[in-house]
Amino acid sequence: MGLKDILPGGGISATTGGIFGAGGPTFLTSKVDWIVNWGRRNSLWPMPFGTACCAIEMMASAASNFDLARFGMERMSFSPRQADVLICAGRVPYKLAPVLRRVWDQMPQPKWCISMGACASSGGVFDVYSMVQGIDTIIPVDVYIPGCPPRPEGLIYGLMMIQEKIRQESLSRHFEHRAEDPTLVARPLASDFEVAELSGPFGNSTQQEQLSSGEAVRVGPGSDDPLA
Amino acid sequence: MADKKDSAGLDAVDAGPVSSDVSGEHHAGNEGDASEHASVAALRERFADAVVRHRVYSGGQHVVWIAPEKSHEILAWLRDDPDHRYDMMSDVTAVDYGNGRPVNMVYQMYSTVHKRELRLRCELPLDALEIDSVVDLWKVADWLEREVFDLFGVTFNGHPDLRRILMPADYAEGHPLRKDFPLRGRFSRAEQTRRALNQDVERFYRAEDLSAGRAPQEVAPVEVGTLASDDAEGDA
Amino acid sequence: MAQKTIELEVGRGREMGVDGNPSLSPIAPFDIVEPDMNTEHMLINIGPQHPATHGVLRLVCELDGETVKRVVPDIGYLHSSFEKLGEYRTWNQIVPLTDRMDYLAPLIYNCAYVMAVEQLMGIEVTERCKVVRVILMELDRIFGHLLWLGTTAIDVGAFTPFLYSFQERERIYKMHESLTGARITTSATRVGGMMADLPEGWTDQLREFLDTFPNTLAEVHQLLTGNQIHIGRTQGIGIINGEDAINYGFTGPNLRATGIDYDVRRDRPYYDYETYDFEIPVGEHGDCYDRYLCRMEEMQQSVGILRQALDRLPDGPINVADPSISLPSKTDAMSDMESMIHHFKVITDGIPAPEGDCYFAVEGSKGELGMYLVAEEGDTKPVRWRIRPPSFVNLSVIAKLAEGHLVSDLIMINASLDIVLGEIDR
Repeated sequence: MGLKDILPGGGISATTGGIFGAGGPTFLTSKVDWIVNWGRRNSLWPMPFGTACCAIEMMASAASNFDLARFGMERMSFSPRQADVLICAGRVPYKLAPVLRRVWDQMPQPKWCISMGACASSGGVFDVYSMVQGIDTIIPVDVYIPGCPPRPEGLIYGLMMIQEKIRQESLSRHFEHRAEDPTLVARPLASDFEVAELSGPFGNSTQQEQLSSGEAVRVGPGSDDPLA
Repeated sequence: MADKKDSAGLDAVDAGPVSSDVSGEHHAGNEGDASEHASVAALRERFADAVVRHRVYSGGQHVVWIAPEKSHEILAWLRDDPDHRYDMMSDVTAVDYGNGRPVNMVYQMYSTVHKRELRLRCELPLDALEIDSVVDLWKVADWLEREVFDLFGVTFNGHPDLRRILMPADYAEGHPLRKDFPLRGRFSRAEQTRRALNQDVERFYRAEDLSAGRAPQEVAPVEVGTLASDDAEGDA
Repeated sequence: MAQKTIELEVGRGREMGVDGNPSLSPIAPFDIVEPDMNTEHMLINIGPQHPATHGVLRLVCELDGETVKRVVPDIGYLHSSFEKLGEYRTWNQIVPLTDRMDYLAPLIYNCAYVMAVEQLMGIEVTERCKVVRVILMELDRIFGHLLWLGTTAIDVGAFTPFLYSFQERERIYKMHESLTGARITTSATRVGGMMADLPEGWTDQLREFLDTFPNTLAEVHQLLTGNQIHIGRTQGIGIINGEDAINYGFTGPNLRATGIDYDVRRDRPYYDYETYDFEIPVGEHGDCYDRYLCRMEEMQQSVGILRQALDRLPDGPINVADPSISLPSKTDAMSDMESMIHHFKVITDGIPAPEGDCYFAVEGSKGELGMYLVAEEGDTKPVRWRIRPPSFVNLSVIAKLAEGHLVSDLIMINASLDIVLGEIDR
């Protein structure tokens, strides 16, 4: 005759899973969550993967006028092993793609990713043979910051969105949040079809209209299959 | 998006600007006045058979076309002769006009002694894209010629370390700045992503990266796993 | 015209010998014979993601202990194919591309590019436009040197000058923004003129900047120039002599630090530079310290040129009057049919070029920046757009400069070359 027999539903509520909350938040876990998330979001150590112009705006954010130090982010960690949030600032060519993937893989969980600027988010001005059309084909991105380059306020807003995302996290959904597929190490995140979709042209410029009404994706020579 | 409509229009888009003058004299305009530029006059006198033409463009810039076989000899003379002394090689580059026209090598030179600049061009036919390297004359040509090799496919005889410099060493799509190379590359984006990330991880730390004189064609082919069509070698 | 080259006399540290090389101290064991150990050279990879490479540069080093035996720079990690993109764009559409190459001094690139186009087409810009472009180029020279100063100071271990230089850069950012709307990617110029004239109060903002900037420069001088740590890390490091420097293609402050006084502004002048009164700092030893001093003095000289340019800034139109080149004003385009047609043609067609090619060199903040354009008769897009990037050529020398030095010296040499990967990889 224990609590299990007296309480309705056998003590396991429909939404929560007991006092430690396997499946849902409880009193104890929500307090622990709050502390953990508070600690995480106010001491994020950014990993600045700065390549081009956006990196200069990132440096300007870290400098005294915009000051990332008030968010606890002045300690730019150049070693991925000690970093929390990867800020990919600038354009990423295909030659640099494996480096970016490797740095991302080296970062321990919990980790988040910010794609800063138009080039990192979608290739930007550079729809050319050498440029990755958005780093979300390679690594999972949490926040995209548009701009060319985004103002430091834009970067700060993006970082605050990461903080907001962290605020929503919960230890009870730990495995969901921190899910990472070990077989995907050094592999692109997106499948071929997703890459084709993400890299395809968009917008309403004349040239892109031509391309999207015809074959949207350039294929390898001699092949009809856009997913070759 | 997976429509297989005819892509002829796309090829035109990708072809880039079409040269307006396909046949006949490409470099219209009058022969420049050699007496205005001391080096041009001396070139005409000393290497008369190697000077193909001479023009003056853009309000006073003298351009001389020379035969590629004599390029090294002429450039060495221009560097060493005390009346000309072109000690600074500002730029070595190439121009591809497309449409079967020869690729032009461009040498932009400046003399700090005489405060004169001169531009030399050599026309290289598309089936014989090679010329003598000038690295022994100006060390700056080392990387500049590597870049021309990488982006245009011109081979430089006598270059100590001719390998790709801007593109990855095993780039298989060809030479990007040629006019017949499409802007978005020859492979699909998925293929390019896969090739980029399938690079051998250890290539970042290989001892071979340090050795000069490695011939550019000796790079190991890349295993790309599930590659549907393997005929995508381009003209690397 | 009063121009003379001055040579800076700076007292070198007591530990330095007369010839600029470190004199042997009795404590440091320079003369110990190395024991015969069976050692191998290490292969160390610096970059491409690294705080001290100033961009995505990969340096593959062969090390014997801490000494660099060979270093091979590997570039291409930022290759964005600007040159090919340029072939698909009209002359004015290329201007936004030029900002993104040297993002540390974008206005210099903007100006250099349209100056090359104007040379090709034989367009003479208005007097006001010339002086405005000189102002913008000199302002961005200071802008670029400030970033070099901040990041080099960080490399040597001094964090404060970074904050000081970025604070000054913020003021220049504000000026960029009030002129063009963008902080970094300015795209301020157009063929035949500028995107827009200087707004009200811009010159006052600039004068205010010029009044207080030299104080910050003096503060940084105090922090770094006589600092023994800085001197110890930069004097005698990365020496190259003048003749080699020219052969290797060095230009800009790197070349002038070796003693060769080649400055494009004086030797191939443009926009009446020969009428401005400024001095060109020339070094002596060709080491990192001299490069540092050259750039510091150049910033000072740029302040002088800016004041002179502001004084002589004429009134008048900023754009060329030719309607087939410059856009008419919006009021005209909306009210007058002919202006509307011109507007339409300039935007959709572009400006037709004569046949020919043009190489135009300016003194960029990093060195001789050359723009090479090739066009066929009537072309509205270039057949070939080539940028002769000063940093590309400067970086190629690092293999020679760093041999025999320590790894930390390699970092200093890299910093002193003032490279920007955007223009190296294009």
